[in-house]
Amino acid sequence: MGLQRLATTWALFQALLVEAMPFLLIGVAIATLARWLSPGGRWVRKLPSQPLLGPLSGAALGFALPACECGNVPVARRLLASGAPLGAALGFLFAAPVLNPIVLASTWAAFPDKPWLLLARPLGAVVVAVALATLLGQRSEALLLTPELLEERRLSQPLSQVSLLDRRSGLIGSQPPTPLPADVPVRRQPLAEVLGHGSSEFLGLALLLVFGCLIAALVQTVLPRSWLLAVGGAPTLSILSLMLLSLVVSVCSSVDAFLALGFAAQVTPGALLAFLLLGPVIDLKLIGLFGVLLRPRAILLTAAGAGLVVLLIGQWANLILL
Amino acid sequence: MSWRPGFNSGLKALSLGLWGVVLVQSGASGRLDLLLRAVFHPLVWISGGLLLALAVLELVSGQEAPLPRRQRLGFLAGCLAALAVLLLPPVPSFADLAANRSQDFQPGPGLNFVVPPGQRSLTEWVRLLRSEPDPKLHQGDPVKISGFVLPVPGDRPQLARLLVRCCLVDAVPVGLPVLWPADQPTPEADLWLAIEGVMENETVAGQNRSVVRVRQVRPIPRPQRPLEP
Repeated sequence: MGLQRLATTWALFQALLVEAMPFLLIGVAIATLARWLSPGGRWVRKLPSQPLLGPLSGAALGFALPACECGNVPVARRLLASGAPLGAALGFLFAAPVLNPIVLASTWAAFPDKPWLLLARPLGAVVVAVALATLLGQRSEALLLTPELLEERRLSQPLSQVSLLDRRSGLIGSQPPTPLPADVPVRRQPLAEVLGHGSSEFLGLALLLVFGCLIAALVQTVLPRSWLLAVGGAPTLSILSLMLLSLVVSVCSSVDAFLALGFAAQVTPGALLAFLLLGPVIDLKLIGLFGVLLRPRAILLTAAGAGLVVLLIGQWANLILL
Repeated sequence: MSWRPGFNSGLKALSLGLWGVVLVQSGASGRLDLLLRAVFHPLVWISGGLLLALAVLELVSGQEAPLPRRQRLGFLAGCLAALAVLLLPPVPSFADLAANRSQDFQPGPGLNFVVPPGQRSLTEWVRLLRSEPDPKLHQGDPVKISGFVLPVPGDRPQLARLLVRCCLVDAVPVGLPVLWPADQPTPEADLWLAIEGVMENETVAGQNRSVVRVRQVRPIPRPQRPLEP
């Protein structure tokens, strides 16, 4: 790599970082505010835990807590740490980057002539979120979540909700422990303490964001974008290439529709939809951030599952619209 | 309340402060004009200010809590990363960036071109030529544009601009073919030029296209806001 290309990579890295950092701060601010206002996080434990209702309720939270995918990670982490049902927290993590007013408005602003997209994008995001939450829900939390998060989550869960194999305390064979009483008042932490915790969380995530942005900038400089758009007319290849593009480009979900506008006329409708669905769930920039939530194998499972579901949705869209 | 923070608290404040300075300095030094569309600039300024305020709060509160070694190393690495961003400004080669992107810019619907030819920017010319590609319609029109020199494989260098929807990452190049003065050397890639000339036709590979015949050319510094929406 020549010096000139290295300088361009560095500039792309800075552009990604400076663009994403405010959104990360917004996400941490929402999570910190939630921690302060609802110290025990009791309301999140009341979210449904059924396989379908759980992810749907989590996805619906996106309307109340609007943040793009970088900001979603700290909020989802707070949900999990507060003991929210796994399905609801994962539903929020995967669907909320699309199901929020800012992203829906930007999609409408970019594609006023494609009303089908305004319906297909949020619906597709819900399908992806439900599918991923179901897929990841097949594994035990101990295999899914990072040890630090699991430790924090256990503090918010009654022991009866933790499987015997995952417990680190309690007596096997004794009477089932009684659930945490609902009316125990939880002390609200001083604001300075909550802010201190939030700022530590931001710094940890910012460092992971730096790594993600570096990888995304490097790959973008090395991989000519024209290669990814060269197969625009072929139904399946166009979906795959646009999925790859969404992984590499790593722009926030609040602006990805405007980016897609630039090549929308060259690609199949299914490929366009796939680009707008996959990027908000996973991209190179997010891989580092996901490391605070999920174990590496769970991240791989998420990427593979999201890729498969988005490919199927894209094919279905092409079948109907082509 | 103590004004003498301990090591952990000081390190955390330094890390927060450095990231705050990175964002604020990006705005103050004009870096943002090179990286992001103007509509996102206020968000960066506010975030930078908030991070600086958090750093001050951390110093003032002086709460010294024990930090795990891993977290302390993380704060330290964050400081180094922020310093690197602060000390090494972005100097992208627009020509290199553009060479990696296809010029598949699609004009949006309902664009209206009422600007007289001599006042059209390079981007407005490209939009017009995409929507009304017949070269005869524009023959003889005066052209007064500026942009950077973009080498094109198998062709003469074009004069180009980068369009962005969000940030440098999604930049799309748009360029105009140029008939450069025969008595001058071909301009180097990335050089910013202001040219005056007239729109003409030429046939390339059996196809007619509009091309700018240069009458006057002068180098200019890179504009303060080189990215166009």
